[in-house]
Amino acid sequence: MVVLELKQVKKTFGSGHMQVEAMKETNFQADRGELIAIIGPSGSGKSTFLTIVGGLLSPTSGDVIINGNNLTELIEKQRSKIRLKEIGFILQASNLVPFLTVANQLKLLDQVKKGNMTKKELEELYEDLGIGDLRTKYPADLSGGERQRVAIAKALYSNPSIILADEPTASLDSDRAYEVMELLKNETKNKNTTTIVVTHDIRLVGYCDKVYNMTDGMLTLQDEKSKVNQ
Amino acid sequence: MFLAWNEIKKNKLRFMLIIGVLMLVSYLVFFLSGLANGLENMNRESVDKWKATSIILTDESDKSMSQSSMTLEDINDIDAKEIAVIGQINAIAGNGDEKTNVSIFGIYKDEFIMPTVTEGEIFSHANEVIASDSLKEEGFKLGDELHLSSSEEVLKIVGFTDHARFNAAPVLYGDLSTFQRVKFGEAAEANKDSINGIVIRTGDQSNLVQNDSLEAIEIETFIRNLPGYTEQNLTLNFMIYFLFGISAVIVAIFLYVLTVQKVSIFGVMKAQGISNRYLSRSVIAQTFILAAIGVAVGFGMALITGAFLPSAVPVAFDLVTMLIYGLVLIVVAIAGAVFSVLTIVRIDPLKAIGG
Ligand SMILES: Nc1ncnc2c1ncn2[C@@H]1O[C@H](COP(=O)(O)OP(=O)(O)O)[C@@H](O)[C@H]1O
Ligand SMILES: [Mg+2]
Repeated sequence: MVVLELKQVKKTFGSGHMQVEAMKETNFQADRGELIAIIGPSGSGKSTFLTIVGGLLSPTSGDVIINGNNLTELIEKQRSKIRLKEIGFILQASNLVPFLTVANQLKLLDQVKKGNMTKKELEELYEDLGIGDLRTKYPADLSGGERQRVAIAKALYSNPSIILADEPTASLDSDRAYEVMELLKNETKNKNTTTIVVTHDIRLVGYCDKVYNMTDGMLTLQDEKSKVNQ
Repeated sequence: MFLAWNEIKKNKLRFMLIIGVLMLVSYLVFFLSGLANGLENMNRESVDKWKATSIILTDESDKSMSQSSMTLEDINDIDAKEIAVIGQINAIAGNGDEKTNVSIFGIYKDEFIMPTVTEGEIFSHANEVIASDSLKEEGFKLGDELHLSSSEEVLKIVGFTDHARFNAAPVLYGDLSTFQRVKFGEAAEANKDSINGIVIRTGDQSNLVQNDSLEAIEIETFIRNLPGYTEQNLTLNFMIYFLFGISAVIVAIFLYVLTVQKVSIFGVMKAQGISNRYLSRSVIAQTFILAAIGVAVGFGMALITGAFLPSAVPVAFDLVTMLIYGLVLIVVAIAGAVFSVLTIVRIDPLKAIGG
């Protein structure tokens, strides 16, 4: 089942000879239960792709459709609702609120939406990410890796149908990086979500069902595990 | 409330500063309102006690009781349910030790402006007076003989009554004839019809007087025209309103600075899909918490200060006025948060997450 679809989406920044074609005309589809990797060098347009998919950036042309909602036809207020309900962001920059404890980062979501993880699921998530002991700590008291894992917890806690992760393992050591990928994979399979991971860490692609390559704004399918192999 | 309260808990010092400033402003507002109220009382409390609707004075007097001179015969030109005559003169009274400004009211003790005695008894002989109990604090007591600055007459305090100051002077209530002796001396007998005004209590305010040389003045108008009364009130009220403005500006600036510092945090939350409405409500809730605490503490401090002030300081807190001013301060603080709300609405979540 198609959760996410990009139709002839294009993004250019600036105009005239300053014009940058950050994303060339792209068609893209993602199904439920798919873990997708987007790899490519710095400046190739990966973040642009991710923010367009997440409804944070409007494409210059084309349509972005999430669960039947065409984002390009919606106003910001409606897009914001869709982000809240459907999307879990794991961002490059730490997206934690400095004055909330780890536990409250997640509780904030209870304040603004329903359908988040149950207490039991949350405990497991804490366990899996190894952040159970950090719940009363503030972001300033955490290491970079810990912050990243809390950010992941925050994205998963809301049970989104799409998880968008921009370099989620950038500040983690290899072991943690593999664990996080394992976690994202399990989450994707168990909850039948769609996860897109932007990375330039080729070691991680082994976890993914599909691997796309982004080069100079051109997205090309590089590798697809045969359904049988799974 | 969740975000608002958690942020306050985390950044206590920062928010204590805002609360502190709001507390000082509201303290000042409450204190000034107490002062305004106290000064008002000093001017008008005896008149308020009459529960009168109007007072008749001569047209020429321009609403000043001491400048108005009429006679008992003028009662015939007045059509009202209840009337009470009054003669009034200012004097300096001394008991040998203390001297003070007083306002002497000459009345008939069977008419409605006769005060109730809280201590001692009513006047029944010549030159006996009931004095304002504020004189007790100045060292006067029952039985004191009062020598007057402008008269040979000696008055005797036989009773006290409460809330009896007029135009900042304690009142001595005596018989009309006592007043006439003080005012006219040897000529008192010849002036035994002389009064300053006629106090009226009636439902219908129209057609009170059938005499062009007399003027019926509503009590509020009469009070407003007491020397200095309106000017004093305007000054203090102006200061209070000015403080409302100041607290709005202070809150606006403080919150705006805090909000600008948090632009990227708000941006991240907006990227997550948390609505402008939720974030704005949170800022408003935060302002409300800060203002409510600041105002409550200021309120308490004003009352405590009031309790320890020497009685010479004319501060009298009126709780209703204070509650209204307290609410205004909170509302005004919330109005100051509007800039922050506008800032939040304008934040682009994409910029915050650094694309
Ligand atoms: N807001 C912007 N304005 C102008 N150019 C931009 C903007 N955002 C990205 N770009 C350009 O678009 C290209 C792709 O950027 P980005 O998607 O961030 O790449 P990646 O995430 O793969 O490193 C780069 O050349 C970058 O300079
Ligand atoms: Mg990037």
